[in-house]
Amino acid sequence: MNVSKKDEDSGNLGIFYHLDKTTVLQEARVFNESPIIPRKCRLLLTKIIYLLYLGEPLGTKEATELFFSVTKLFQSKDIALRQMVYLVIKELSTIAEDVIMVTSSLMKDMQPKSEVIYRANAIRALCKIIDASMLPSVERFLKAAIIDKTPSISSAALVSSYHLFPAGKDVIRRWANEVHEAINSKPASLVGSASSYLTSFSTGASSYATQPSTSNINQYHALGLLYLIRQHDRMAVTKVIQQLAGGGRGGFGSSSNVLRNPFSYCLLIRYAAKILDEDPNSRQQMYELLEAWLRHKSDIVNFEAAKAICHIKDVTAKELYPAINGKFVFLSSPKPTQRFAAIRTLNKLAMTHPTAVQPCNLDMENLITDQNRSVATFAITTLLKTGNEASVDRLMKQITGFMSEISDEFKVIVVDAIRSLCLKFPSKQAVMLNFLSGVLRDEGGYEFKRAVVEAIFDLVKFIPECKEAALAHLCEFIEDCEFTKLSVRVLHLLGVEGPKTATPTKYIRYIYNRVILENSIVRAAAVSSLAKFGVSVGDVEVKKSIKVLLTRCLDDNDDEVRDRATLYLKLLEDEAGAEKYVKDDSTYSLSALEEQLVQYVSTLEATEKPFDLSAIPKITKAQAEAENTRPRSIDLNTTSQTLGSVSATITPHVVNTSISTASRDVTTPTPTGLVQQHSYAPKLAAIPEFASYGELFTSSNKPIELTESETEYVVSCVKHIFKEHIIFQFNITNTLNDTLLENASVVMQPEPDDVSLEEVLVLPAPKLAYDQPASAYVVYKRINPEEYVLGSFSNTLKYIVKEFDPTTGKAEEQGYEDEYQAFQVEDIDLLAGDYVLPTYLSDFITAWDQLGEDGQVVETFALTAMSSLQDACTKLISLLGMSDVENTATPQYTSLHTLLLSGTFLGGIKVLAKSRMTYAPSSGVTMELKVRSQDIEISRFMIGAIA
Amino acid sequence: MAALWKSLLDWLRSLFFKTELELTLVGLQNSGKTTLVNVIASGQFTEDMIPTVGFNMRKVTKGNVTMKLWDIGGQPRFRSMWERYCRGVNAIVFVIDSADHDKLEAARTELKSLLEKPQLANIPVLVLGNKNDLPDALNVEQIIEVMNLKSINNREVSCYSISAKNQVNIDITLQWLIKKGKGAK
Repeated sequence: MNVSKKDEDSGNLGIFYHLDKTTVLQEARVFNESPIIPRKCRLLLTKIIYLLYLGEPLGTKEATELFFSVTKLFQSKDIALRQMVYLVIKELSTIAEDVIMVTSSLMKDMQPKSEVIYRANAIRALCKIIDASMLPSVERFLKAAIIDKTPSISSAALVSSYHLFPAGKDVIRRWANEVHEAINSKPASLVGSASSYLTSFSTGASSYATQPSTSNINQYHALGLLYLIRQHDRMAVTKVIQQLAGGGRGGFGSSSNVLRNPFSYCLLIRYAAKILDEDPNSRQQMYELLEAWLRHKSDIVNFEAAKAICHIKDVTAKELYPAINGKFVFLSSPKPTQRFAAIRTLNKLAMTHPTAVQPCNLDMENLITDQNRSVATFAITTLLKTGNEASVDRLMKQITGFMSEISDEFKVIVVDAIRSLCLKFPSKQAVMLNFLSGVLRDEGGYEFKRAVVEAIFDLVKFIPECKEAALAHLCEFIEDCEFTKLSVRVLHLLGVEGPKTATPTKYIRYIYNRVILENSIVRAAAVSSLAKFGVSVGDVEVKKSIKVLLTRCLDDNDDEVRDRATLYLKLLEDEAGAEKYVKDDSTYSLSALEEQLVQYVSTLEATEKPFDLSAIPKITKAQAEAENTRPRSIDLNTTSQTLGSVSATITPHVVNTSISTASRDVTTPTPTGLVQQHSYAPKLAAIPEFASYGELFTSSNKPIELTESETEYVVSCVKHIFKEHIIFQFNITNTLNDTLLENASVVMQPEPDDVSLEEVLVLPAPKLAYDQPASAYVVYKRINPEEYVLGSFSNTLKYIVKEFDPTTGKAEEQGYEDEYQAFQVEDIDLLAGDYVLPTYLSDFITAWDQLGEDGQVVETFALTAMSSLQDACTKLISLLGMSDVENTATPQYTSLHTLLLSGTFLGGIKVLAKSRMTYAPSSGVTMELKVRSQDIEISRFMIGAIA
Repeated sequence: MAALWKSLLDWLRSLFFKTELELTLVGLQNSGKTTLVNVIASGQFTEDMIPTVGFNMRKVTKGNVTMKLWDIGGQPRFRSMWERYCRGVNAIVFVIDSADHDKLEAARTELKSLLEKPQLANIPVLVLGNKNDLPDALNVEQIIEVMNLKSINNREVSCYSISAKNQVNIDITLQWLIKKGKGAK
């Protein structure tokens, strides 16, 4: 019984069930027999391929031996056998040595006089075994094969060329004409005896050989190759697109179209989208093509075009409209793939253009109950983005029912989406908090719980109204939490936030429970948390209770817990100490600390002395948080953006990695002002002359290039603003390897000759060797601290040149005797924005209202030179040197936009700006700018920056 | 039914009278191996062949003899692989360009090292001095002398001077080869 069942299971595998490499290689001796028995050989070859596909490793020697046996099979003319020979050769081509041996035989097989079925396969096999050096000798044959009337041969040649392209660019470039011809080839049906390139052994070749291929897939291959050849020539690609797009609009579906393969159109759409992306001038033209493709008769082409339109970087609502309309149809398609494709694109689009996606909301709501969980998850997260406040309640209800059915990975995605929604609609926090605490009680893995806890943390941080409720939920959570890491984080948060609440005692009980019930790590965290209550809560009774609790902890069997308890007990007696160690709000600037530590570890001499912590700048917690929030808020978006790719790949671990890489991508290339500043601050602090200027307030965001990048000396400038001083840091790079510059300094000339600035110090760069950047400094002092000077400076680089012999590495001693050379570089402007530190703000409206109208200045500007709202936003941000808030840096509509900005002015004065702008092609951008700050003078000054 | 009988008879007949033999052609590059194979196969001479990269396989039927001809490239990088294709064949045909005096030395060394392979012991060797139509071509005696053929005594060795271009001595070459097939049976 059992045996027969097993046979049934393995029925399909049959002879492949127990294959052993050694036996198969032994059997390979039949290849050397004479005469050859095709059937037996073919079966054996199949076994070999099966083994290779299973991942059986084959040594070079074994493979070579096998390969040469296989070459003996070229004597048989059996079609089916020869096909297997080709396949095995392709597989062995990377393992065996001397595979070049079959070149001649393959070339014979691809000659026009041999059978079609041989030719296509021979071409594919040949291209696997030859290298670039062999390419010229087969060039003639491949060119001929590309324009062959038989699609299978043409395809084989095209695909092979595609793969050979990286190795033999120069040769293959010459085939562009042939490739073009292949694209324009006649429909396959007219050719007649085209055949699919693989026949089946059992049915015999004849039944297949006569069946023509009608897919026209060779057009797709040809287009791909043509693009590979022409990709760097945008004009040529544009031309190709225009030619192949058919006779312009309206010509679709007519017989005049060259392309008959839908995949080719998809390729064409991708190329068109790329051009559109790279070349703004072609936008109109390419968009029209894309739009026309929306009406192509093939679904896949429609979809590709719609997707391309949705992915246009700064697409307008009007441009999106036809594409979104097309998506409607797909959303209710019976095919899950189409639904998935449509919802995925919409999801991505919802990140940037939620309003454009809104018309689809109704269809998407139907998809929430879709059988396919990927589609449903996408639908939910998309709806969360596009929905308005009113629909949130309904959605949340639906999600609650849905959560139990999906896996942890999807839950994380949903929780992330809800987290960003909470921040978007603070008034709905109660519903969402309920939801979050609900899912927190559900079963789930660490990643999922972490996502929920972090979402609640964010609520606590950004929405003060829900703090008490959220903390209560968290307390409940740690009562039964299996993840130490999360417990510790929650305990820390309770310690920070708990004392500030109305009834701190409520939390103490929860925390002390941890001390009794948990493992040592959590106990230690609980002790620290308790101590914070003891220090921060004013009530004497509470203090006394805490002392009692901490005293009990002294009996703990873990060292760390006892140590902490002892320390905090002492601190409770000692007000000053408590102030210093528990309440202290400042922390070391981590980026600076890291830098110093790396330096300390990497230099040998330094290790002789103890590490000097006092050199590390301290920042307040608030500052550190501001630093964190900005990338975090971007992170929120990217997380959901990556969702697109994430849900497509259902594999769980991919989800996490792609999210984390995405957020890393975001944080690294756009360091915030603060991060930047940290990289400058230690450097400036190291220069003793600057010590008296106080603490660095802000530095310009990125260095301003003062020269073209290809000049002899490349100079860029960074402006550092101190309380009264302005340091211009010039980074100079010498790009000549045969000169050495000495004593290089920059002479700055204010224009107009301003009396309110006084040059106090010029610090030259002593030596500039080839490709080793060095900095020169010029310091100005503002004579009147109340006056924030604006102006322009002309700059000249002065230096002594010495000849330098790169081979010996020695500089000529005499050189040009102390004769200063001058090198004019571009001017620098000192702008209002330079005095502002961009600071991120989570809740603009409240801050705006708090500042009130007292310090408000309003002015209206007509900016006729601006060609779009995007331009205006970018320009305004750079002029004012402020940070955009609530993702308002990219306008959603072309005609109307409100930009919100936030920053801190020199001296720590908060500045906010709100700019409403409209755009009309005739009049350009018209903008009303409101600036509020604690000091009306500063508001005026900022407004003045625009004029 | 009659057709079936006939085919059966044909098959039986072929069992008795058909001889199959396997030959490998080796020799330095540009000595005329591929050309010779073409001449044997089609009776036509074609000039200006591209060098053989790897090997060519041809099946030629002369009367009731079927010859499998393995024509291996003569460029240095293929010489190490000659041996693989010489194993178990009825005869090794070593082609030399009898008019290219500079390469005779190399040809002798290659032939010697090939015949030293234990796997190839006792396989008859036919040395063909091709291109005897050219003015400076060596004659048979000279080839035997230069190639030091007399020293080979552990197997059958023959030598002909031929011209694939003018089809000189191709017939006796074929006769010799076919005899090998019959002799082996």
